[in-house]
Amino acid sequence: MHVVNTTDLTKIYDNRYIALNALNLRVEKGQVFGLVGPNGAGKSTTFRLLLGLQKPTAGQLQVFGEQMGAERADLRRRIGYLPTNPTFPKHMTPIAFLQFVGSVLGMPKDRAKIQLTRLLQAVDLANAASQPIKGFSTGMLTRLGIAAALMNDPELLILDEPTSGLDPAGRKQTIELIRELSGRDRTIIIATHILTDVERVCTDVGIISAGRLIYSGPMADMRRLARQGTIAVEIEGNTSSFEQELHTLDEFGSVRYERIGAEFRITFLGTQPLNEYLNRVLALIDRTGVELLHVDTGSDEIEEAFLRRLEDDRTRGFLRAAAWAAALDGDSSDRKEEADAGIPGHPSV
Amino acid sequence: MQAFLAILRYDLSQLTQSWVSRIWVPLLIAPAFFLLIVAGTEDELASETLAAYLVAVLMPLSALAVAVLTAGAIAGEAQIIADGILSRSVTRAEFVSAKVVSRLGFTLSVFLVVMIPFSYLIIRYAEADVSYTGLLVGLFTAALLLTFLGALGLTLSTVMTNVMVSVMSLLIVVLASGLLLQFLGLSWMSVTAVLAHLAPTIRGETPAWDTFRVVFVFSGLTAASILTTYSVFRQRDL
Repeated sequence: MHVVNTTDLTKIYDNRYIALNALNLRVEKGQVFGLVGPNGAGKSTTFRLLLGLQKPTAGQLQVFGEQMGAERADLRRRIGYLPTNPTFPKHMTPIAFLQFVGSVLGMPKDRAKIQLTRLLQAVDLANAASQPIKGFSTGMLTRLGIAAALMNDPELLILDEPTSGLDPAGRKQTIELIRELSGRDRTIIIATHILTDVERVCTDVGIISAGRLIYSGPMADMRRLARQGTIAVEIEGNTSSFEQELHTLDEFGSVRYERIGAEFRITFLGTQPLNEYLNRVLALIDRTGVELLHVDTGSDEIEEAFLRRLEDDRTRGFLRAAAWAAALDGDSSDRKEEADAGIPGHPSV
Repeated sequence: MQAFLAILRYDLSQLTQSWVSRIWVPLLIAPAFFLLIVAGTEDELASETLAAYLVAVLMPLSALAVAVLTAGAIAGEAQIIADGILSRSVTRAEFVSAKVVSRLGFTLSVFLVVMIPFSYLIIRYAEADVSYTGLLVGLFTAALLLTFLGALGLTLSTVMTNVMVSVMSLLIVVLASGLLLQFLGLSWMSVTAVLAHLAPTIRGETPAWDTFRVVFVFSGLTAASILTTYSVFRQRDL
């Protein structure tokens, strides 16, 4: 079952700013879905629409198979939400705030007290439980936000930048908490800039750019995509000979390389498996007599893949627009579909 | 209903702890004591003393306090409302209802807490010229005007995002409309003109039709403001 299902979800603010552009997002039950994208890509807007805090300008939006809206308190009861930089009533203590959240959720007082005690311990705020929130650091506020999001033991947890402002220990703790929740068959959607967090906890990932979902798929596919094509080698010896011979690898398609000191980052733009490229590079090392110090097919891999997807999307933007214009001229539905999918003749991501 | 009660309790606790409430109530009580002593020793007319207190002290101070408390009710807490309250199992209607009940209820409670003992003491110690029906009508009219002001403040709070702008807008709208309506000969629709006519009302000298007209107009305006608040807030992006 789709826990979240959006079809051509569009949000335009004041007829001036397109925050979401026909977003098609599907999140299945039990997934830990990482939504990544640059600032202003539309992640927080997506979340606010999913919660019914904002109205879509166009398109469909279903949560738990039902239409979400401002009056759907019944659906929100099943959702936990952590906003970016959460704000709380400053004079309240964490205990008072979580009790308030519990009463808003209609929890019996006793159950709310047990739950908030457990959660304050889980997010390491038990010692600050009776202090006013106004003295809290950003990390403490985020942790309190996580506790508030978990008060109702939600089926769907929406976390907007859950590790922002946290110190390494807090970040690790939060990641562990998300892992534990995902093990309990919860559906979790996380928006973050920290791609290593996505890699560590997410089963699926979506890349959002300029309000469009430009990639959506299992994390394993993203990893494969990341590893595809880039090999970094650090060599010693006759490096200029190695550099001169690099063009011989071109038989597999276009090759780009970047040299930083003794390190060569070689990117293959063809479609062969990575093993094939690696064998060729190792053979070249052997042939040119340089000494291999280090080889890497995966450093910064997710970031690389993420940036590559963004770059591809920007390039495709022009072609998509051209294809759309042509489709509108000729009224060709096939070409229109191609335009929607990406560049003509290329599969959609 | 649980969400409504939770927000109501939360909002009332916010109101009782706010600096506005802490200043507002003592500022109303101190001049009341002063007027009581003067009216008792100088044999002032109870109706004139009550009207003077309402027009010169209670209404201006309360208008300012109500403007701050209601015009900031939603705009001033937009982030907390969206993130902390409306992202949970609360409907917009429950939220607005809780806000309306708490802000208007709090305003009326303060009004009654000050005016009931003050009216009793004035009637007892000053020259008793009031009619009990007239006193009830006068107090009801003053309470209705405050309620209208509060309801209008809540409406502005849903429309505007800046608290200061909504407070200023509220005060300007009420004062300017009062003067304009008086100029147009519609003084029974003007807050300032109705207040100026309180002493005869308290003495029971105002014709029933005039009273009915004032009550009808301001009840209608209050209801319209509250309905507008619901309607605007339901449509609003948070």
